[in-house]
Amino acid sequence: MNLEELTSSGMLELYVMGALSQREALIVEEVLEAHPKIVQEIEAIEATLVNLTADESFEVRKEVWNQIQSSITGTRTLQSDSPKTNWSMLSGWAAAILFLGGIFWMLQQNNLLEQEIQTTTTEKIVLQEKIENTEDALVETTELLNILRSQDYREIALPGNPTVSPESFAKVYYNDRDKVAYIDVKGLPTPPEGKVYQVWSLIMDPLTPRSVGVLDGYRTSENKIFKLDNIPDPEAFGITLEPTGGSESPTLSQLYTLGMVTI
Amino acid sequence: MSQPDALILAMQKGNEAAFSKIYDLYSKNIYSVIYVILRDHDLTEEVLQDVFIKVWKNANSYSLEKGRFYTWLLNIARNTAIDKTRSKAYKNSSKNLSTDNFVTILAGHDQLSEKTDAIGIRKFVNQLKPLCIKLIDFLYFKGYTQAETSEAMETPLGTIKTRARNCMNELRKITLQEGTL
Repeated sequence: MNLEELTSSGMLELYVMGALSQREALIVEEVLEAHPKIVQEIEAIEATLVNLTADESFEVRKEVWNQIQSSITGTRTLQSDSPKTNWSMLSGWAAAILFLGGIFWMLQQNNLLEQEIQTTTTEKIVLQEKIENTEDALVETTELLNILRSQDYREIALPGNPTVSPESFAKVYYNDRDKVAYIDVKGLPTPPEGKVYQVWSLIMDPLTPRSVGVLDGYRTSENKIFKLDNIPDPEAFGITLEPTGGSESPTLSQLYTLGMVTI
Repeated sequence: MSQPDALILAMQKGNEAAFSKIYDLYSKNIYSVIYVILRDHDLTEEVLQDVFIKVWKNANSYSLEKGRFYTWLLNIARNTAIDKTRSKAYKNSSKNLSTDNFVTILAGHDQLSEKTDAIGIRKFVNQLKPLCIKLIDFLYFKGYTQAETSEAMETPLGTIKTRARNCMNELRKITLQEGTL
């Protein structure tokens, strides 16, 4: 915008009246600084406005000035228009801000490290537990292996009942002396919801079934080998599927496996 | 009117005599501007005092290199007066009628003032078109922005500047004819 355009645009009039936006006022002020001709135009506008109210018949009461004068006396001691920069104070503040920033950073780092330690500790506990479990399982398995290998145990095969579950099979390791047996039921299908396997010892003549254990830990057992105690001289072992909790007498229609003890 | 740069500089350095002369130069005009907003002599005197005390205390926030002293002063005056309109004292005086413009108010023909209260306004102002009186009333006396003026006058925003230019030119012509400048 050249001077001619600026003068005829109305921006100068609005500038004097204080009605320009800050952005537009800045433009005018920049031009004002560089071009004294514009200053003349501005002064003419100011004069026109001030002249509007220059009626001789009115004067502001003298008391107004007296009030102003009495309230300003000694109130202003500022002498310089550009306040000196107080470098020592500034650097003091800067140092304080840096210091605080440092502290905050360190606190944050500390928090992060503490969190990491906590996570690591938790992980360690979990791993330790796993090791313990594995060790327990190993001990159990080794023990079991020793038992099964020992001479005291006899191996009895329990083949699947052709009419109920021909694919099934189980094995019993039986100790005559201690009346203890281990039964391996890995070869049985997982029992349906609400059902459990129940192990019976049988005497054949007359046929007398006695419950020697309900395998209610089937689902959670890893190796599907269970220990059975107090087994009276059996002639056969059978496994039936029974409602949870087991039954008084075997449900023969659900006899999965049956095996004779050969002496 | 040329700006009293030397007086302003002296005032900025704390010279009370220079400040007093600046008061003499502008106080009457600033009084009128405040009065058009408040329409009450007691309140206007109060605000005028506040304005010049602000000028004295904040003199160093004005810079000769940047902008005109009159515009700076005018903004302080209108802002202080408009602040006053929000005060209890002003609300109790219930002067917020809007149909009057600066010509009727200053001449004492407005709905509230007695003739004796008049501050006075140059007679030639009556030769101005009503549209120009309205425009100067909003932009200069009431401190409206261009957008507010455009809305109040129901004219397009883009024409405010050129209309202001035309009206001020007309006013300058009348003033010259009257030989008062």
